[in-house]
Amino acid sequence: MQSVGDDLISVSVADPAAAQALAAGLRDTGLWIEAVAGIDSVVVRFDIATSTRGDAETRLATLVEGNIQRPQKSSKRVEIPIMYGGEYGPDLPFVCEKLGMTQQEFIALHCGEYTVDMLGFIPGFAYIGGLDARLEIDRLPEPRQFVPAGSVGIAGGRTGLYALPGPGGWPLIGCTACALFDAHSEDPFVLDAGTTVIFSAVDAL
Amino acid sequence: MTLRVEKGGLQTTIQGRPRTGKRHLGVPASGPADPLSMALANRLVGNAAFVPALEATLTGVTLRFGSDTHVAVTGAVAKCMLNGLTVNQHATLAVRKDDVLAVGAATCGVRSYVAIAGGLSADNVLDSVSTYLPATFGGHQGRALLDGDELSLLNARARVALLQTPKEFQLPMLRAWTVRAGYSSETMDLDNPERLFAAKFTIGSRSDRMGIRLEGETFATQTSGQMPSAPVFPGIIQCPQDGSLFILSIDAGTTGGYPRVAKIARLDLHVLGQLRPGASLTLLERSDQDAIQELLEKHAYWQPWLPDIRDII
Repeated sequence: MQSVGDDLISVSVADPAAAQALAAGLRDTGLWIEAVAGIDSVVVRFDIATSTRGDAETRLATLVEGNIQRPQKSSKRVEIPIMYGGEYGPDLPFVCEKLGMTQQEFIALHCGEYTVDMLGFIPGFAYIGGLDARLEIDRLPEPRQFVPAGSVGIAGGRTGLYALPGPGGWPLIGCTACALFDAHSEDPFVLDAGTTVIFSAVDAL
Repeated sequence: MTLRVEKGGLQTTIQGRPRTGKRHLGVPASGPADPLSMALANRLVGNAAFVPALEATLTGVTLRFGSDTHVAVTGAVAKCMLNGLTVNQHATLAVRKDDVLAVGAATCGVRSYVAIAGGLSADNVLDSVSTYLPATFGGHQGRALLDGDELSLLNARARVALLQTPKEFQLPMLRAWTVRAGYSSETMDLDNPERLFAAKFTIGSRSDRMGIRLEGETFATQTSGQMPSAPVFPGIIQCPQDGSLFILSIDAGTTGGYPRVAKIARLDLHVLGQLRPGASLTLLERSDQDAIQELLEKHAYWQPWLPDIRDII
């Protein structure tokens, strides 16, 4: 358990599935203002005006210990056609150069079936793990101020889908026309942690 | 009952209660960037702290009223005119149908808050009416107000007292700010973290409701500056690989992979809404315990004028 600020406590966990399960369990207790999963951690925000840090840490430790549930794998499958490279995948050339492969080799390795690790960052942004080890690349040294909606990036062994336009720090390798978030729909989020996604290459959107 | 936007200005949005409890879906809080100033404006027209009001940015906003009502302007220092005559900020203004209120450009601070008795009607998305511009939802059609927009007013109470914010509760706007902050567990990734609290930063021009760029000092992280994406919150200061620090604000993404080197204490988060490009900023080091103690003291200070202060800051 670590402090990341006066009203924040971070707990390390083994993997994204454990993080999702713990965060969901903590939200169910109603004891925390927020309980948010990361890739290998969960951070809670609590009301420091009504609870001491010590009490919050004790309560959290008890809940962490008691949390053994695993989230049920969602049966949802979503196909995501990607147009690789070009105007909306401007980093594909340098990514391929850095990884030492051709764009065709990259696309062949990237297409396939994955599981969504988590949502986060901005509404509808999906972190999708399980990339081939040969596609491991860092974030950009400085984030871009503007990334168009539908952009597909990779970083740290994951694919990231940008549902909305905004700033972003992942090298962009393509884009999709799939609408991943609709604020006015009954169920605004198309993807969720555990959803299966299938990437395929298309020539046009 | 309507309100016509004569001039929308640079970025005027409707903000209400923060969209709390949705960060696990990638949905940030939004709400007023300076919730204390918005609460002070609402207080003057008899509204609860987070009744939907207008947040104007730098250039101000001009409004024409479709009915008799009461309004108040707080936040950034800005010249306000009612039908061409100067009127005070921090005071209840009685306005008549067809009156025009012009909130001028901010000369100190960034954001002006205009509260109208009863509040504004706005789109409720994911349990809040606060505008979140990156995803274009909430507020008025999910966007900043444009010249000619017509807004609907919620029902006002029949009687509104004419008030002035007492001097001791008028929030000072500064050119040199200090905010209290504490180390985060990743701070020790910095080459010399003690410099964080010795540095005098300048607020960068790349500053908005998403975040605030700090210029003047850069830091080096001992690792590559990359980590698995982790939950982040307003007030967290990140250090991307280029070494310049970035404070996350109310509209910032909910997870991020840059090292989290410090966090501005809860009690000073409202200041983020008024940090103007070019202003200076110093971080005052506080332990978590001291930051909590000072929050309780700040609540006690504001409580006589804003009874709901614990919800506000």
